[in-house]
Parts: sequence; structure tokens; C-alpha cells
Amino acid sequence: MSNFLSTGISGLLAFQRAIDTISHNIANVGTEGYSRQRTEFMTRTPNPYANGMVGNGVDVSTIRRVYDDLIASQVRASSSTFSSMDTFAAYMERLNNLFADTDTGLTTTLQKFVNAMQDVANSPSSIPARQVLLSEARGLAERLRSYDAQLASYDRQIESQLESEAREISTLADGIAQLNVQISASYAVYQQPPNDLLDQRDRLIDELSTHIDVSTVPQSDGTVNVFIGTGQSLVVGGKASDMVTLTDPYDAGRHRMGLKLEGGNAADITSSLTGGSLGGALEFRDQVLDPARNALGRISVALQSVVNEQHAAGIDLNGLPGGAFFDVGEVEVLNHASNTGNATFEVTRTDTGAITESDYYLEKTATGWSLRRDSDNAMVPLSGTGTAADPLTADGLSIVVSNTANTGDRFLIRPTRAAANGFEVMISDPAKIAAAAPIRTGAASTNTGTGTISPGKVVQADHPQLRSDVTIEFIDANTYSINGSGAYPYTSGEPIVYNGWQVEISGAPAAGDTFTVSDNTGGAGDNRNALALVQSLSSKVLDNGTASINDTTTRLVGNIGVTTRQIQASRDAQEVIRQESVDARNAVSGVNLDEEAANLLRFQQAYQAAAQLINVANSLFDSLLAATSRR
Amino acid sequence: MRISTSAIHASAVALLNDRLAELVKTQNQLSTGKRILTPADDPTAAVQALELDRALHESKQYERNSNAATTRLSFEEQALADATSLLDRIRVLTIQANSGAMDDTARNSIATEIRTRLGELVDIANRRDANGEYLFAGYATLTQPFSVSGTSVTYAGDQGVRMLQTSETQTVADGHPGSYVFMDIPQGNGSFYTAASNTNTGTGVIDTGTVLNGTWVADNYTIQFTSPTTYDILDGTNTVISSGTYSGTSETITFNGVQVNFTGKPATGDTFTVSPSGSEDIFTTISNLLTTLARPDNSEAQSALFATEIGATLSQLDRALEHLSSVRSEVGGRLSVLESAAEARADRELDMQTTLSGLRDLDFAEAISRLNVQLTGLQAAQQSYAQITQLSLFNYLR
Repeated sequence: MSNFLSTGISGLLAFQRAIDTISHNIANVGTEGYSRQRTEFMTRTPNPYANGMVGNGVDVSTIRRVYDDLIASQVRASSSTFSSMDTFAAYMERLNNLFADTDTGLTTTLQKFVNAMQDVANSPSSIPARQVLLSEARGLAERLRSYDAQLASYDRQIESQLESEAREISTLADGIAQLNVQISASYAVYQQPPNDLLDQRDRLIDELSTHIDVSTVPQSDGTVNVFIGTGQSLVVGGKASDMVTLTDPYDAGRHRMGLKLEGGNAADITSSLTGGSLGGALEFRDQVLDPARNALGRISVALQSVVNEQHAAGIDLNGLPGGAFFDVGEVEVLNHASNTGNATFEVTRTDTGAITESDYYLEKTATGWSLRRDSDNAMVPLSGTGTAADPLTADGLSIVVSNTANTGDRFLIRPTRAAANGFEVMISDPAKIAAAAPIRTGAASTNTGTGTISPGKVVQADHPQLRSDVTIEFIDANTYSINGSGAYPYTSGEPIVYNGWQVEISGAPAAGDTFTVSDNTGGAGDNRNALALVQSLSSKVLDNGTASINDTTTRLVGNIGVTTRQIQASRDAQEVIRQESVDARNAVSGVNLDEEAANLLRFQQAYQAAAQLINVANSLFDSLLAATSRR
Repeated sequence: MRISTSAIHASAVALLNDRLAELVKTQNQLSTGKRILTPADDPTAAVQALELDRALHESKQYERNSNAATTRLSFEEQALADATSLLDRIRVLTIQANSGAMDDTARNSIATEIRTRLGELVDIANRRDANGEYLFAGYATLTQPFSVSGTSVTYAGDQGVRMLQTSETQTVADGHPGSYVFMDIPQGNGSFYTAASNTNTGTGVIDTGTVLNGTWVADNYTIQFTSPTTYDILDGTNTVISSGTYSGTSETITFNGVQVNFTGKPATGDTFTVSPSGSEDIFTTISNLLTTLARPDNSEAQSALFATEIGATLSQLDRALEHLSSVRSEVGGRLSVLESAAEARADRELDMQTTLSGLRDLDFAEAISRLNVQLTGLQAAQQSYAQITQLSLFNYLR
């Protein structure tokens, strides 16, 4: 009889535990990362009797956490990828919006500048038209600088994001390490799983995976080791490494990511980091932001070189040669922090058509110099020795080295990064716009032949004799002399090049006919150089003569659009994948209140039944007492 | 499959968010009227739209350029018309002066009028356009091109021609330099010009002559009368290349592609020259006329010289009028080119606008029906969420 009393009591206790667990589940229905728990029952060892084994009731064997390691790692992998794409896409969308407005966009601003130049060509002597050109030029410069400033501000945001990512990853790693300690202690003492601690640790690892791609290796003592990147250990048992930001050895304004073991030095692991918001931010910086700034810089470089070159070939209202129209930021050369030499560099852009949007790594080798292009990691052949007389040249750059570099010294060359930021209009006096050509041509009124001379153009603006008066006189119908000397054969329409200019005489000049090329004094109404400027702005000057400035600008905007669209599509697809794995985890581990309600009813009834056993035992006991009591 | 309670809520909220985001995008499209809000919405179309936008701006600029050219050419056209009627008047006066019934007083008054007209012509040649730029100065549009000193007019401009870009491929000159319009008028008949020596004593008169079959051999020829009925023709090196006899009243002389008519009675030793045409400016022609008019006309020889010179002047005035009219027709040609270019441009702009609109603008009918579908979808999602979340077994546990 005491047997079934204790059996009944074992049922009462077990169902009480079960209802405890159910109420724990219900209470945690809203807890993030909570895995539902199940009470596991086990029959007690039966009492052996001659006629058989009589059951002894129930025991609670354990409270089990319903959890699937495989699904959990799927959730982490997919949320790490998603979070990387989401961060990338968020930056990308802002960049996309920046370039979205067609009314204030680069193409429109550039066209406005060209239009203002056309207006100057329409009335070259008009100061108001020149004034408008200057303000459109300033508008263009302002546009380029403000785009660059926006991109620079994204850069700073990413730098500060890297710092906060490092702090958060370190904090999470610390939390995981501490939980590892508690969990292994709990296993050691109670021999039972500390379900809620395990949930907490899994939640921290989940959160870690949104910052960086992680892999976990469970240990036999219940602890979990966490690895990031290409297998760098972030947490081992109760010890966590510190994620820190390191200063970029080339650029003190930039961060790289380092991992610092307890008491050790921080190792640079930037290149092996992928996934998560940290991976997304690094990827955006390297693959979109830096190239976009370089592209913008290259557009500025092209504008400056094309406009300045043509402007110098003209003369202004005062009759002086055109000065520098635009200024642009210099080539940046950055020293590696570990360099031992004291070399300095003078890097100039010599060929706009060959300039790329890439950065370059220059290294002193035992035999000379080596140059690596960052965009495709290709070694670029260098010619020259690096002296002022014989500079190193490659990809449109000319590099002059001063002082000495030691073997192994490294330098980062950014040909166009700072160009847009330094883009400025150098002219403030409208009269100084060189709309006119420096020379004019004429035919003598005494000519008897039918020869005509073209207006002429400048082929070498810095020729010292460019604006000297020159007379071309025909000795006979097929021969001419220049300034009274020489006898050159005449072919109608053939270019005559002299003193840095080029003219064509066509038709049939007669003997004694003269043509003059002279200084364009007082040519206030001449618009030839303004027209040439318009022309040069649409000429294909970039990518070795295959792309115009405008082509490059639309390509930049187009690329940003395409990349944004791609990353948005990938992110949306990845979100579905992540959602599916989260759903799968919820299907296994999530609390369903209806299910808990049903279980509650079940164990309530079982508890009531077990309580009834006590009642039965009580009445049995009473009847036995009554039967044996003396009256 | 088990569904956890929190997943029901989370997924419902996520779906509602998605629906709402779609709705907001449609609403944005409707309120801006644009299909492409950022380049990412349709990168290909966005880039095409950028290019079309730029081309449209460019086209508008070409229109401005064309208008500038049209304005200046119209100014020039007016100036040329005025110059033409002025020259016509001078021509009439010259013919009057040439009629035999003129005495010195009458010639003087004609000369006075012509002198006034010359001043007017210089004023026309110095005209400015609406921007204050001289029309006929070449590039030197701020320098007064023509100035009178004594009896001659000098040109201070140059031979520059300003071109304006009126389409991607077309440039149109917005005027002519003064040197071309007023200065470089071919002398004589364009190949050669004739003149009588002012020391002639006979009454021979030479006309302006014509070129025979285009065989004109350029050189400075002199026709020298060795007697009233014989003449020698000398070339530039004073070599006699042919000789002939003169009838005494009129004769047509031909040599080396030259055909000139002689009338009157030349005296022994009279010379006439046939020289290759250079160019002569209108002002010189007129001041030569004034010199001729001032010449005494008291002898037959003087009359003959007068007749030769007036003949040369009339021919030169005709050349000038012809020249002005050819410049005017060039201007007219340019104006009509500009006009047809404007039509082509308008067509092209319309074409680009249409394409641009197709690329970038919203199809409102489609967007509004999409908006309705999305609204219905969102409402359905909201209602079903509200109903589903009311379901719970706990509702039945009493």
C-alpha cells in the first residue's frame, strides 16, 4: 500500500515538474532565442516479486531543450550572409540616391558648363556671357567636390562603424567565454544541461554571426569554441580574444581589423574577414566606395587636363594666352609605416588617356622598382629609372624619386583619389577666359589667284614664335616661300605647319599672291577657341581614346545603379533563405501556446489522477484502520 | 510542421511591412510621375535617360546658337540691303553724270551728293549688332573697322569669320568680314581691268572688255597707238606680242584671251592698259568716281578719258552690286539652312522627349491599378492577421 502511495506521489511530483516546465515555456513565449523545454519521464526501477515486476512510479529523467545544432548553424550562416548584404545594400542605396537626381546630376552640370561655353562662343566679347560661364564652371567644381565630400563622409562613417563593430564583437566574445565557464561548471556539478544558459550562449553566438561570419566547435565539457575569418580563434573555452582596430600602415586615417590574443600582439586579419555587417562594410569600402571616389577623381582629372590644355591654346580678351582654367587635386603617395628609407616622390599625371581608376603599390626591389595595380592585382611594367631626367613611367603616371628607398620599402600611389576634392576654378576675371585663337589668317587684297586660306589652328600652344607675323608668298602657282625663304611645293588643301600653327591653303593661287598669318590682336569677337573647348569636352580622351568624359560619367552612375540593383536582389533572396532557416528553427524550438495549452490540460488531468491515487490510498488506509480497530 | 506562436506574429509583421513598402513605392511613383526614382530601379533605362537628358539640353543650346546666328545674319542682311540701295543711287547719279548735257555745276552737285552717300556707306559698313559688336570687323568686333582719312577709307578689321555650332555636325558662319563685303571686289570684269592713260591726247575710249573662251593669259598688257590707225600690244616685259590696224572709229581688239572694244580717235602715243584683276574696295571706286567728276572736261581728249573712266566706274559699281547681292544670297542661304535645321531639331527633340518619357515617366493607368491591387492586398493581410491572432486554445480554457 505504501508502494502505490509513493507511486502516486512520484506521479504528483513528476507532473508538477511538467507543469513547471510548461509555465516556463509559456512565460518565455516572447523571449528572444528561447528554446522550448520538455520534461522527460522515466519509469522507476520496478520491485521484483515472485509473480512479477511491480512498477514503482515515475521519475523526471531530465528537462530537455528542444534544439537542433544543424539548423542553428544554418541560421547563423544565412544571417551572417544576409547581414553582410544588408549593410552593403544600405550604403549602396544611399550612394544610389546621391546620384539619382538628374536635375543636379553630374551629366546635367557638365552640360550646363558646355552650354555656357557655347553662349560665350555666340558672343565672345560679352562679359555677362563670360560671367555665366565662370559661375557654371564653379557650379561644376562645386558639384564634383560635394560628391566627393559625400563619399568621404561615407568613408568616415565606415571607419567609425569598424570601431564599434570591433567593440561589439569583443563584448560578445567576452559574454560567450563567460557563459562557457558557467556552463562547464554547471555540467560538472549537476550532470544536467543548464538549458537557459545554453540558450543565452546560442543567442550571443547568433548575434555575433550578424557582425561577422562564425564557425563553432562544441567541446566535451559543454563549452563551445568560436572561430572567425579563416579559422582565427575568437573564443576558446573561457578565454576570449579582443577584436581591435589597427591603423592602416599606409593611411593613418584608415582602420584595419586586428585580433589580439590575451597578452599577445594584435594580428591584422582584415583580408580574411567575411560576412556580417563588418564584412559588408569592408566590402563596400573596397569594392564600391574607393573605386567610386577614384572614378570621380578621374573625371575631374580629365576635365582639368582637357580644358586647361585647350584653354592655353587660346587668348583672352586682353590678348594674353589662356591661363590654367581648372585646378585639380594632386596624386597621393603614401609611405608604409615600416619603411626604413627616406624616399620621397613627385608623381605627375602625364597622359590622361592612360590614367586608370585604380590605386598602385610601388615597392623597392633589390634591382629596381616594381609596381602593382590594385584593381586587377597585375604587375605593371615600369620604364625609366626614377630620376628627374628619366622618370619611372607607367599607366599615364610619371614618378620621380628623391632621396633613397631601401629594398622592401613600399608605397601606395593613389593617382586620382584626391583629384575631385581639389577641383577648383582658377579664373575669376571673366575677361581672362580665352575664347579667341592666338592667330588669324588673311589673304592680300592684291591677290589675283583664287587661293583661300583656312582660319588656322594651334598645334603647339607654347611655341615661342606662335604669334609672330608670317607671310606665305607664292613664287609661282605650285611653289611658295615662307617669310621670303624656302621654296615649298604647293598642294591644294595640304596643311602647312609652321611656328606652332597649322593652316590650309586651297584653290589656285597665282604667282605673287600672299597670305598672312598674324597675331590675333583685337580679336574680341573670335570664338574659335571657345568652340574648340566645346569640341574637346566631347572628345574621347579617357581609356586610351575610347571614352569621353560624359561616357565615363554616365558609366559611373550606371554602375552604381546596376550594383545597387544586384545587391538589393541578392539581399532580398538571402532574406528569404534566412527567413526559411529561422522558420525551421522556430518549428523545432519555438513555443506554440496551443500546444502548451494542450499539454497543460494533459498534465493537469494526470496530476488530478495522481492526486486521486493519494485519495484512494487514504481511503484504503482508513478502511484498514477501521477493520483492525477495537470498538 | 510546427508553427511557433512568435513566428506567426513575426512573419505576419514582416509581410505587412513588405506590402507597405511596395505601396509606398507606388505612391512615390504616382506623386513624382516617374517610373524610375533612382538609377537602381532600372539602370539601363536610367543611363539612357541621362544621355537623352543631356542631348536635350544640348539641343536647346543649339537652338540658342541658331537664334544668335539668325539675329546677326538678319542685321547683316539689313545692312547689305541698305548698302545695295545706296549703290543703286550712286549708279543712277553716275549715269546722269555721264550724259553729255552736263555742265560743271551739275557735275559738282552730283559729286556733292555722291560724297554724302560715301559717308553713309561708311556708316553702314561700321554698323553694330544688338550686342554692340561691329558687324563687318571679322574677329575684331570691338574695333571700328572702317575709317575715312582724306579720300581713302581704310579697313582695321581682319578676315576672320565666326562660326557658331548649330547642331552636333553643323556650324554656320554668323557674318562676313568687312574685307570680304566691301574691300575685295574684283576689278574690271573679274579677270582683267582696262584703263586709259591720263596723258592721252586722242579721244579713244576702251571698254571693260570680256574674256574670250576662258583663255585669258594673265599679264600686264599695254596697247600703244603708234599712229592713229596702228597699234602695238606689249606684254609685261614691254615686248611687242602683236600689232594691228585701227579703223579710226571703232574696232574690236583680241589677243591672249582678251577682247576689248575701242571707239573714238586715239592719237599717236596714246596708251591703254589691260591688267590682271586684283580687287578694289567700294570706297576707292567711289572716290575714283569723285576724282573723275572733278576732272576738267574741256577737250575731246578729256572727254574720252572721262568716258573711259566713267565706263570703268560703272562696271566696277556693277561688280560691287553683283558682289553685294551674292553676299546677300549667301546670307539668305544661311538663314534658310538655320530654319530647316530648326525644323529638324524640333522633330528630333520631340522624338527624344517621347523616348525619354517612355523610359522614365510613369504609366499612370498601370500604376493606379497596381496601387489598388496593393491596397487590397495590404487590407487583406491586415484583416487576416487580426483574425488569426485571436485564435488561441486558451480562449476555451475556463
